[in-house]
Amino acid sequence: MSSNILYIEDNPDNMMLVQRALESRGYCLLKAVNGLSGLQVAQQEDVDLILLDINLPDIDGYEVARRLRSSSKAALVHVPIIAITANALKGDAEKALDAGCDVYMSKPINIRELWARVEAFVPMP
Amino acid sequence: MTQSYLSHLECSGCGKQYSHNQIHTFCPLCQSPLLSLYDLKRARQNVDRDEITRRKKGMWRWHELLPVLNEENQIFLGEGDTPLLSLPHLEKELRLSNLFVKDESSNPTGSFKARGLAAAISKAKELGVKKVIIPTAGNAGGAMAAYAARAGLRAHIFMPKDTPFANIEESRMAGAEVILIDGIISDAAGMAGEKARAEGWFDVSTFKEPYRVEGKKVMGYELAEAFDWQLPDVIIYPTGGGTGLVGMWKAFAELEALGWLEKTKRPRMVSVQAEGCAPVVKAFQKGAVFCDFWTNAQTIASGLRVPKSFADHLILQNIYDSEGTAIAVSDESILESQKQLASMEGIFAAPEGAATLAALKELIKQDWVHPEERIVLFNTGSGLKYLDHVS
Repeated sequence: MSSNILYIEDNPDNMMLVQRALESRGYCLLKAVNGLSGLQVAQQEDVDLILLDINLPDIDGYEVARRLRSSSKAALVHVPIIAITANALKGDAEKALDAGCDVYMSKPINIRELWARVEAFVPMP
Repeated sequence: MTQSYLSHLECSGCGKQYSHNQIHTFCPLCQSPLLSLYDLKRARQNVDRDEITRRKKGMWRWHELLPVLNEENQIFLGEGDTPLLSLPHLEKELRLSNLFVKDESSNPTGSFKARGLAAAISKAKELGVKKVIIPTAGNAGGAMAAYAARAGLRAHIFMPKDTPFANIEESRMAGAEVILIDGIISDAAGMAGEKARAEGWFDVSTFKEPYRVEGKKVMGYELAEAFDWQLPDVIIYPTGGGTGLVGMWKAFAELEALGWLEKTKRPRMVSVQAEGCAPVVKAFQKGAVFCDFWTNAQTIASGLRVPKSFADHLILQNIYDSEGTAIAVSDESILESQKQLASMEGIFAAPEGAATLAALKELIKQDWVHPEERIVLFNTGSGLKYLDHVS
């Protein structure tokens, strides 16, 4: 059975790159283009890991992470979250980790590193 | 005479090949750095290492192994052929017998960054680039501004507001537009990348274009030449973005392929970082392939304040391959070593360069180096550029 990875990202180029990379390894990618729809997908689906862009068009990734961690759905309190940002603002990494993310990655996303980071939480199907 | 044996670019991650006749940044498929590959078989037949030694001094005397195809595009400000100095007083103090420093402070703009930016800006000019942008901890910005000025390119620089004053002023003096930001180089990188995408600037960030590493690799050629085509036992190198470390390792592989080395034993590469920002050291200690992003990075050595290099996996791979190590040193030990280098040997090193001496002292304590080994420290720049930080 394939593992579900939710990617919350509004940039279609990044979405396509990550989708291709993760699906080539057998993961199933769930997609959301903003923070609120990401939270909705996380509530409705079984999610094994979340890739979270920080600069989202509605609520930012920090807020998404905080809401996930305080969710009534127990699985989301502990689901691994990898924050991905263009680090255009000071202290993105620190803020992402403080908000409950487990790992911080900056763009451009090295695909080999992404595979390694994802596999550290969710073994390749 | 063939000006350059450059044959193509290759992704360091997935191996996909790209043409060197087009502008490239990094691999669009797997987002790893691109490296320049040369037709070394043909170069081996046609290029004489001793003829290179007889040429006029400077980085471009190695032009067959550099990426610029047309001599007219070489931007030369005197970079390269920096002195390899013995350190007799420190040798005695540390009970070593073959200690050297490669003193990069005599490069244009006072640091080793001149080598990489000379190559990158020359190649950018050759490929028709008109405006270049860079995020910098300081010295790379100054170097880019100078070479862009010489090449007639527009230059835009993002640097932390606490960058040494000399770096800010030299960049502005050379005509670059300088934006001081409230953050560190990783924040500057985000802003530079955004501006590059939005306005069509060519981003010459470390390893986000293929040619800076080509300029830096010449440090490796020069070391081999200076030691009569043998390599030292240990190279102790300060590591921020890691271009020099990766570049020298690439140079050694190329020299082997060219058959120019008298002995092919490669050096053990030591990566030196500051305790306040040591992602490579932390990853090395865990045996990791990539670095974690270092949060709250702080050190007086601004060039070492790099929370994660885009080429972290190449740096780590080179350290592992060389059976080297990675070591973090405190700011206090950097300052103490800076004084030692100046007062005992007359070398006013940049903090990053002084960090290599601090690291050597630790390695001696750990018996990681042997007294008779040939050890090279790298001073990457002049201490004069950091007066506001060290006084």
